[in-house]
Amino acid sequence: MSPGTNGHADTGPVTRSAAQSRADARSQSDDLASLYPFLYAHPDNVGHDRPGAGDLEAVLAEVRRSTVDKAHQIVALRREVLARDSQRLAACATAMAAAFATGGRLFAIGNGGSCTDAADLASLFLHPGPGRRALPAFALTGDIAVLTALSNDVSFDVVFARQIAAFGRRGDVVVGLSTSGNSTNLVRAFEEASRRGLLTVGLAGYEGGAMAELGSIDHLFVVASDSVHRIQEAQTTIYHTLWELTLDELIST
Amino acid sequence: MSRAAAGTATAAELFERRVLPLYQLADDAAAIATACHAMAVRFHLGGTLVVFGNGTASTDAQHVVVEFVHPVVMGKRALPAISLTADVATVTGIAGAEGFDEIFAHQLSHLASGRDIALGISADGNCTSVLHGLAAARELGMLTIALVGGDGGRVASLEAADHIVVAHSDDPRVIKEVHVTAYHVLWELVHVFFQHPDLLEARAVA
Repeated sequence: MSPGTNGHADTGPVTRSAAQSRADARSQSDDLASLYPFLYAHPDNVGHDRPGAGDLEAVLAEVRRSTVDKAHQIVALRREVLARDSQRLAACATAMAAAFATGGRLFAIGNGGSCTDAADLASLFLHPGPGRRALPAFALTGDIAVLTALSNDVSFDVVFARQIAAFGRRGDVVVGLSTSGNSTNLVRAFEEASRRGLLTVGLAGYEGGAMAELGSIDHLFVVASDSVHRIQEAQTTIYHTLWELTLDELIST
Repeated sequence: MSRAAAGTATAAELFERRVLPLYQLADDAAAIATACHAMAVRFHLGGTLVVFGNGTASTDAQHVVVEFVHPVVMGKRALPAISLTADVATVTGIAGAEGFDEIFAHQLSHLASGRDIALGISADGNCTSVLHGLAAARELGMLTIALVGGDGGRVASLEAADHIVVAHSDDPRVIKEVHVTAYHVLWELVHVFFQHPDLLEARAVA
């Protein structure tokens, strides 16, 4: 990425090899100053051709450092998720593939940012693009008429549980995403789904919250972080991985 | 049959695909910082963020809007943002009448003004509707930002936006993940500039 009219033309092979060397060096050194010298340019040495430019450069330097920190944080967090859950991801994909193979459908649920992940997850299964098998999936977050009707007439806490009661059959799959793990409407939905014999898959953050306390979610993945953003980023990787492993499982069985 | 024998990837291999593109995003830190500053200046002027994309990117557009309008971090101010993907009546109406390529350009030309910010998202950088949206935004004088992937596609080759973030991967899922981190960072770091109001006066910032 470049500002102005420069497009991205200067982020070619040189940048790729620099990033590769940083990736290679990561285990030997966490010394950001040597890996990212551009982060540590002293503000007094640059940009004094106009008033306030030193201040601007200092803030830009702070923002650059923060950007690099966050990229490194999510790489580290994904490593932790993989170390703890790789076997459980494979087992979950096996169960999901078995559900699809016997006519099951997938329902995805979540609130806020997780609502957009639910929509993305459902769309990924239903419309995965060329060469990949399309599977029956939809998000229970997409129909505003249903959501507002249930919220207005009953309670926001039942928006997903009531839809699962209406649509859900034994052998279907519910995937629910929450960063806190505490969304009441997800907890109610998982309870309803368990009662009806659906396969339940939960993605939570922090320490799992109420979703972990529930004890009944068949496959629960807790991203142990206290950053909502990093949790969401790791959860995106988890559902992408589940999708890919599920499709592979359907091909190989 | 083992996964290796079936030619399929393990969870570990899938996770490894995500690493290098994140380091490459870190390499773009300087350009991301510049984009954050430009966005902060527009918000300071009263501008609204307008976000658009197709398919997966349509969900990202809505995610970005939630970040700005309803911040997850206590004490951060809400900032005006709208997605052009949520109004199914309008999107299907435009697609049916003027064609799918115009779904964002039409909305921008009637909902946005020159002080606003356009953020277009396209995994391959080749979505015509996003390109037309960015062109309509430029016509209005908006600040234009694009999140793309792969080789940047036509968005990059045509330099269709003032600030272009390229997720260096050919896997649409990995591109999406880099975009999520990128817009989380854009949201969070825009706020750093609000702590320095003297840096937000309307000077020449693209």
